[in-house]
Amino acid sequence: MQFRLEKRREPSKAMIYITPVVAVVLTMVVGALIFSLIGYDGIGAVREIFLTPLTNSYKWQDLGIKAAPLIIIGTGLSIAYRANVWNIGAEGQYVIGGLAGTGIALLTYGMTGWWILPLMVLAGILGGMAYAAIPALLRTRLKVNEILTSLMLTYASVQLIYYLIRAPWKDPMGMGFPQTRLFSEAARLPTIIPGTIVHLGVPIAIVVGIIAWFIMTRSVFGYRMRVVGAAPHAARYGGFSENKTIWLAMLVSGALAGLAGVLEVAGPFQRMVPGFPTNYGFTAIIVAFLGRLNPLGVIVAGVVLAITFVGGEVAQTTIGLPNAATGIFQAMMLFFLLAGDILIKYRLRRVAPQPSVGAA
Amino acid sequence: MTLSRRTFVKVGGAALALPLLGSRAFAQLEKVKIGFIYVGSINDNGYNYAHNQGRLYVEEQLGDKVETVFVENVPEGPDCERVLRELAQQGCNLIFATSFGFGDSVVKVAAQFPDIAFEHATGYMNGPNIGLYNARFYEGRAVCGTIAGHMSKTAKAGYIGSFPIPEVVMGINSFVLAARKVNPEFTIKPVYISTWNDPAKEADAARAMIDQGIDIIAQHTDGPAALQVAAERGIVGGFGQGADMSAFAPDTQLTAIIDHWGPHYLASAEAVLAGTWTPGNTWEGLKENVVQMGPYGEKVPEDVRAAADAVKNGQIDGSFHIFTGPIKDNTGTERVAAGVTMTDAELLSMDWYVEGVEQPA
Repeated sequence: MQFRLEKRREPSKAMIYITPVVAVVLTMVVGALIFSLIGYDGIGAVREIFLTPLTNSYKWQDLGIKAAPLIIIGTGLSIAYRANVWNIGAEGQYVIGGLAGTGIALLTYGMTGWWILPLMVLAGILGGMAYAAIPALLRTRLKVNEILTSLMLTYASVQLIYYLIRAPWKDPMGMGFPQTRLFSEAARLPTIIPGTIVHLGVPIAIVVGIIAWFIMTRSVFGYRMRVVGAAPHAARYGGFSENKTIWLAMLVSGALAGLAGVLEVAGPFQRMVPGFPTNYGFTAIIVAFLGRLNPLGVIVAGVVLAITFVGGEVAQTTIGLPNAATGIFQAMMLFFLLAGDILIKYRLRRVAPQPSVGAA
Repeated sequence: MTLSRRTFVKVGGAALALPLLGSRAFAQLEKVKIGFIYVGSINDNGYNYAHNQGRLYVEEQLGDKVETVFVENVPEGPDCERVLRELAQQGCNLIFATSFGFGDSVVKVAAQFPDIAFEHATGYMNGPNIGLYNARFYEGRAVCGTIAGHMSKTAKAGYIGSFPIPEVVMGINSFVLAARKVNPEFTIKPVYISTWNDPAKEADAARAMIDQGIDIIAQHTDGPAALQVAAERGIVGGFGQGADMSAFAPDTQLTAIIDHWGPHYLASAEAVLAGTWTPGNTWEGLKENVVQMGPYGEKVPEDVRAAADAVKNGQIDGSFHIFTGPIKDNTGTERVAAGVTMTDAELLSMDWYVEGVEQPA
């Protein structure tokens, strides 16, 4: 018996929106099975990872601040990926955004004024954009694949953090530990709900998602991105320059990654430390796809991924699940989603076994 | 030392919960719930493994009077803050944050939960409910350095560090000072890899240094990767760090520094049970059995074992201190005069390398 993948004439519209949900549900079911088989409380694991963060109101603030950077970066990536521009280096642009904001915070150390935070945010956005401009330039001028360059620049950005916090930006009070000083009050993102840790970055993330959705569906820019991605030949025929699209896609995704970086350093971190890169830029790739490259979907997907992070820690303390379980659940989710995508576009058909040449 | 650290914290303006200053009485308990957070995996067979052994020790000793929970692989950043709050909210009475980079988070969360006792390993920011505990790992380094000085043929060792913090710098210096007492030509080259636990990076650094002619390797990271590379490349040897790693490189491990946190964890747990816990500041070593030395490797000859034992015993009975002058730094300037021993405060803020250390990039 053999099977063959056959292209469907018309992919189902409904399925496009149903598969992410199916992927999450399948992840729960298979996850529960796997962890039961290897001797853990599988159902408990799924409950703690996926439900506890939602039912325990104390965890909502954690979800908010964990989801915010994922949503902001994921939104930018969803726009770029729509145009078939594969920016894999959002993590690096996030880091440079954070460093640019840190630079302003250190320059204005000890000063007060409402203008400091907006200036930091601006610097973060420009930093992320500038860093994304490198792969864009290499791609448009020299035809270098942006997947490789953007990814490799991530590692370079991490080295830049280490250089800056070990020497020029080192905290004079840090006992030699490589980190910058704590930002002064004016350079810290305010919390918006008293008594919680929910900072201004959380509403900004939601606003970014909504604005991006509006632009993608209602503007020429959005139309350009979608057409270039869906039908590159038609787009060229229609007068949309491919290079210009690459530039736009890289700059927008870089700008948003930079924004996430500066909000993160000014919010939860409040200083630059070696642990600043926490893979938000990579996790946001899952978020973008789980959200169907639709900014509104990205908001939901960002929260789902945040749930797995927060829930993963709950499961460690309550039922002793190892830390790696979180990664397994996240990977399963992406796997089922991508598998689902294949089945939307193709159907599985049973074919008669072909007599193979040379068989005895 | 305590005084200087306090002053330091005030001057630094670190987010210390000043409004909460003042003595606080903790209630007596029937049962204590203890939370542990680790920066790496409990299966790293090194630093985090050793802390987890300490947790198991407390469970074994206190039986049903204790319940412990732990979270591993906690990044040093805001994620740590969330995990600490999670533990606090789950009803832990005592929480051990076992890595240096957890400091900021401990300070923030401890201020929100004044009734919970926090203890931060290897840190410097204390508070009304934040105790500090550390171990004199440098004493073990002096023993390792003595062995290295005797056994290295090239008189060059490699040293893989995590971050250039005083804790690590002090270990490097202790190792080199001890080795140069045996062989004045001895030098080392430290490499910092900016992480506590990344076996691939540790192994790469080890390979690069072996290619440059070192024949002994030491590390201040959490796992046995460097030791395994040393075994694979057949150099003279290396050392276990945090735990006995001889299972990973039986012929290559010359000895190991073993962190024995159990007794400290037990003492803190008992203090919380009795309601007598106060934020302490302990820094114990070989003498108190918090730092232990592993068995000598088979290839360590008798005379070297005797020399290493002498250094170990000298530190236990107090007759020997590795940081007694004269000590020159690696630019040739005398930093410690003959006969003078560095104070704990000086050690805890050490940011210069002794003679024989190649300045790291």
